[in-house]
Amino acid sequence: MSEQRSVMVTGASKGIGLATAERFARRDDVGQVVVVARDSPAFDQAVARLEAVASPSVKVWPHRVDLADRAATLALVDDVYAMHGNVDVLVNNAGYTRPEPIHQIDFAEFERTMAVNLYAPFTVVQGLLHAGNRFEVVVNVASTAGMNGRSGWLTYSASKAAVINMSEVMREELAIYGTRVACVSPGRCATDLRRALAPDEDPATIMQPGDVAAAIEMLASDVGRFVDSANLVVRQ
Amino acid sequence: MYSLVLLNGGSGTRMGAPRPKQFLKVNGIPILVYSLVAVDAVPEIDQIVLNYPEGWRADVEKIVHDYAVRTPVDLVPAGATRQESVARALELVANDDVVLHEAARPLVGPGDFARLIAAPQRNVSFMAPIPFTVAPVDPETGTVTGYLDRDRLRNVQLPQKFARADLEKAHAYAADEGRSYTEDATLVAAAGLSVHFIDGADSNIKVTTPTDIHLAVSLLHGSDDGE
Repeated sequence: MSEQRSVMVTGASKGIGLATAERFARRDDVGQVVVVARDSPAFDQAVARLEAVASPSVKVWPHRVDLADRAATLALVDDVYAMHGNVDVLVNNAGYTRPEPIHQIDFAEFERTMAVNLYAPFTVVQGLLHAGNRFEVVVNVASTAGMNGRSGWLTYSASKAAVINMSEVMREELAIYGTRVACVSPGRCATDLRRALAPDEDPATIMQPGDVAAAIEMLASDVGRFVDSANLVVRQ
Repeated sequence: MYSLVLLNGGSGTRMGAPRPKQFLKVNGIPILVYSLVAVDAVPEIDQIVLNYPEGWRADVEKIVHDYAVRTPVDLVPAGATRQESVARALELVANDDVVLHEAARPLVGPGDFARLIAAPQRNVSFMAPIPFTVAPVDPETGTVTGYLDRDRLRNVQLPQKFARADLEKAHAYAADEGRSYTEDATLVAAAGLSVHFIDGADSNIKVTTPTDIHLAVSLLHGSDDGE
């Protein structure tokens, strides 16, 4: 592993992903921050912000990809490894939801939720492993909604429950490389995704993305190894 | 630099499984993977000569591919005996020094290989003290025939390292004498060449029975919680 770590954050156009990327971009022990999100004005603004706040040692590399597209995700992985080399810290943060009650769930939406929330982090991890990548730390962002099912949130809750379980398997299997796998489950957090889940809630009254980003940064730090053996709940 | 001869060709009959023991899983991962990943992190080893049981080449190749082993791997069919397997593998070895290991020992890490390579002698084996009493017996008559001083006995382990020329000489000696050996440290010593040992760990178990798999998984998980 290089002395300056390479960090990759998915879902980095806003919310927890942007706050996480910003925390790593400010660090002197980071050499590059690879940020992934769908092409959007918000992502353009996020990249500009990251470049403005980044430590002089840090290069920010944006990749515009819809992680619901598996072929595009596989191509992303190839590009990232070829262009930037080994990813030391991977934060699988990208998330999607369209909450509906059982009777009204459009199956295509369920598939998209699983594609972004579950299959994409798996594909990124497996693809990089196949390329020869050796992770130092993988942080999967789940949700407290994955710990207890919520009425009206079936697709999201199920996908995040799977992320929590997948993280446990990854933790065991990637131990052969010395890789740590952490899983963080935020509770109510003021993100666009939360707004979709709870549109009537005042975002100023709940946990902020930066709070979760601080927990993710801690998990990727040396002290993180003492708290990464189980799903870490971050909530107010 | 060193070549690793990774023995992976045993039939695994003691495991009673429908496929060779190298494809059985320890903690959900093929046992062969542990050795491949450990060696991949050892910079002094730049070649892996990996043997495979008859009919299982494609399965071995898939494991090497899926786990993106970076050290170049040469494949060779296993011989009828362990001794023959080593002799066949030696023909593909590209370096003057060889490390021997077997896939059935999944608890050997990069640090163990580094310690072996750092030993000043060229012919060196990990060997563990024997913490129990052993006795020579005559199995035909069911009698004990004497006494063995366990301080002068060691449990032979792998990995081992040898000068390739010494290992080749020893195998030629065994062939000339028509004798077979179950491992190479004693073979090389029997051929009149010096072999040293360094202390091995009792956690370096050879997984040959279903009970061993449970033990290996437990050892991989480390100590239980508690202060």
